[in-house]
Amino acid sequence: MTTRRQKAERLADEELMPRIGRKDTEAFEVFYDRHGGVAWSLAYRILGERGAAEDCVQEAFISIWRNGGRFDPTRGSVRSWTLSIVRNRAIDVLRSKAGKAPKMTFDDDAILESRPAEERTEEEAMRHETATEVRGALSQLPGEQSKVIQLAYFGGFSQSEIATMLDLPLGTVKGRMRLGLEKIRGELAEGPA
Amino acid sequence: MNANDHDRRLEEVAAYALGALDPGQVVELEQHLAACSRCQEELQWLSPAVRALPETVEPRTPPSALKRRLMAEVHADAAAEARRARGEERRQRAETRPGLGEWLRGLNVGGLTWKPLAGLALVVIVIAGGIGYAVGNGGGSGGGPEASVSTFRSGRAPGVLAEVRREGSTGRLQLENVPPLADGRVLEAWVQRDGTVEPVKGLFAPDHRGEATTTIADLGGVDLVMVTVEPAGGTRAPTSAPIASVRID
Repeated sequence: MTTRRQKAERLADEELMPRIGRKDTEAFEVFYDRHGGVAWSLAYRILGERGAAEDCVQEAFISIWRNGGRFDPTRGSVRSWTLSIVRNRAIDVLRSKAGKAPKMTFDDDAILESRPAEERTEEEAMRHETATEVRGALSQLPGEQSKVIQLAYFGGFSQSEIATMLDLPLGTVKGRMRLGLEKIRGELAEGPA
Repeated sequence: MNANDHDRRLEEVAAYALGALDPGQVVELEQHLAACSRCQEELQWLSPAVRALPETVEPRTPPSALKRRLMAEVHADAAAEARRARGEERRQRAETRPGLGEWLRGLNVGGLTWKPLAGLALVVIVIAGGIGYAVGNGGGSGGGPEASVSTFRSGRAPGVLAEVRREGSTGRLQLENVPPLADGRVLEAWVQRDGTVEPVKGLFAPDHRGEATTTIADLGGVDLVMVTVEPAGGTRAPTSAPIASVRID
């Protein structure tokens, strides 16, 4: 006999969201199991503190649970929408801690109690491939382009804050952001169809 | 706008996509985006690169306590929601029952007993209800008074155009020419009532034609409707200048 949980597991993310909007707890649990890992890793990457990352992910997922019906499929995937909510909350936390510089490295493996998430589905394998491509593209970027992108995206710094921090003209920071993103985008475009 | 100004804006699109534009420049760029197809294309082209950035973080299994805490809150929420729904159902049943009972008691006249009359009354109600339903759906004008409809507009092309259509106490807010939003940004509507600004329930986003709509459940006493671009999930108070505002007379 198929359980509600098993039925939910067979659904695509876009099909889970209306169920979450109707307060289906099994659908929400499947949604968390699919994206909770990367959400937590992202929050930890930005905040650099385990407790703060947990609070951030919990708040982000609760807001999705309470407002699941707001997902708009014309504006990207459920996963990217979810991660943008997590990222925005994490950056808000960083900014609210006035004067505290965000952690910009991910070197404290002891703080993590886990293993890399296993690939469960073909979709996840494709995500892994995309991640490998983007990591490859980021690593091939000139250091100065990679740095401004990482400071902006993972550090939550504005372009003028980055210019001050790195003692660069604002125009140089803008140019490096654009060139770096163009290269990553180009790498994605050349990937497997 | 000259070519240099345009190139400067184009350069800022990457920072906007990364959420790194300085707050004061966001509204200015969003207004430019509304009227510039080349910058819109640039934003659409770069967005997948930004969306892919979180995937570069090595995925790890989160602490199991996080899922336990989260699911406990979700189950508590779902239980509270179910209790609220049951309470509402009981309240609605309670509201209808005494009215009927009182009406039936009032009919205990002329030596007739209450119980047979109650049965008769129910038959009358069912038949009358059926007739009323048929008349109401037959396009007759015999319903309640029609809600008054008014329309309020603001904005000028090529900027964002806004229209509020008021029907009775509710309103429908429709926007056109809304520029594409950066990832993680949504539209949030606000109403001003007695000098106080309140959020409208329900966030929304423009479609591929730049059109967006939302409903304002209560327009009573509202003198101004505004729309701002906010982080996904919404905020309790506006964090940026309105991209559209409509005065309600």
